[in-house]
Amino acid sequence: MENPLKLSIEEITKMFPAEERIYKLRCVEGWSMVIPWLGFPLNKILKKAQPTSKGKFVKFTSILDPEQMIGQRFPILDWPYKEGLRIDEAMHDLTIIVTGLYGKKLPNQNGSPLRLMVPWKYGFKSSKAIVNIKLVEKMPISSWMKASPNEYGFYSNVNPRVDHPRWSQATERVIGEGIISPRIPTTMFNGYGDEVAGLYSGMDLKKYF
Amino acid sequence: MKKYLKPSIFALSLFPFLLITYKIFFNKLGPEPVKEITHFTGEWTLIFICLTLSMSPLKKITKLPIWIKFRRMLGLFVFFYATLHLLTYVGLDYRFDWQPILNDVVKKKYVFIGFAAWLLLIPLVITSSKKMMMLLKNNWKKLHRLIYVIAIFGSLHYIWLSKTIFFKPLIYFIIIIVLLALRIKIKNRDVNYG
Repeated sequence: MENPLKLSIEEITKMFPAEERIYKLRCVEGWSMVIPWLGFPLNKILKKAQPTSKGKFVKFTSILDPEQMIGQRFPILDWPYKEGLRIDEAMHDLTIIVTGLYGKKLPNQNGSPLRLMVPWKYGFKSSKAIVNIKLVEKMPISSWMKASPNEYGFYSNVNPRVDHPRWSQATERVIGEGIISPRIPTTMFNGYGDEVAGLYSGMDLKKYF
Repeated sequence: MKKYLKPSIFALSLFPFLLITYKIFFNKLGPEPVKEITHFTGEWTLIFICLTLSMSPLKKITKLPIWIKFRRMLGLFVFFYATLHLLTYVGLDYRFDWQPILNDVVKKKYVFIGFAAWLLLIPLVITSSKKMMMLLKNNWKKLHRLIYVIAIFGSLHYIWLSKTIFFKPLIYFIIIIVLLALRIKIKNRDVNYG
């Protein structure tokens, strides 16, 4: 990038006013939830950094703080949490940086102060508590890919036709609907196909899961 | 005193069932109630497997035959909680939608082995009565050794479905291995005395 930036959260919220986006989050473990997010498109902040043609992927690194985040005291994953997007995915208007929920500041457990939300991908792609966003030339290896490459791919687009090795992705349970409500069918790209299917035209999404 | 022991253990064994029923009706299961019920009934099945397998080692160690009296009841509670676990998955989660369920049984090894374990429990339940015990004589003991296979299957089911945190499933696996190891008689022991 031409113009690397180092910004405090106060500067970020001032520079990029938050708007409300109501997106459905679909977890890889088979639940979904419709959530009113507050945030701004990731492309706004990326454009400020003036990416060069070498920036083919975006790498997100989350905070490493085992004092506060007790899960990081155990080597469950390769900490800090790392995720990545292809540059066109990152620049897509639906991809947002989240600073709030339900009209309020983002709670700690939801990834305060900054998190990603990519509505057509499984939830784990939407990193929480991000401290570093980097443009890179090569495809980044995410923490989950490293932990279990045959279960978690780089793309991880919501796809009812590609099963997770340990469970089906054909249906999902809706959080907030209670115990009586049945599962609903999962839709391709979590229902955002009209907007994003073009990013993957000609790609075998079974191979690039 | 002794005659109250068995009914007390029966009442205690029902406690997890009452607890989950209370949590269901009073909405205490958090955002994913179906998952909670599945995990709860699954874990209690494993706990009852461990309890059932503990009875004869306890008899050996304490030299009190009373333990064996509880074994059948605890074994039946294994089936009770395993069936609740299966019904939660088949009925509450998948609404008896057989196509994805069958797909899971065939494709996912942890579902397959879990279902196999439940099927293997059935002959044990059918032959659990005193009458059947008498009828089958020596074969009864042989047949009921199936619980060893079921215990291994049950703990593998838990290990295979776990993501990256294997701690708890491994604890159950180790407990079951220890309980099974306690049963191995060292056949060559006499040789050393020669």
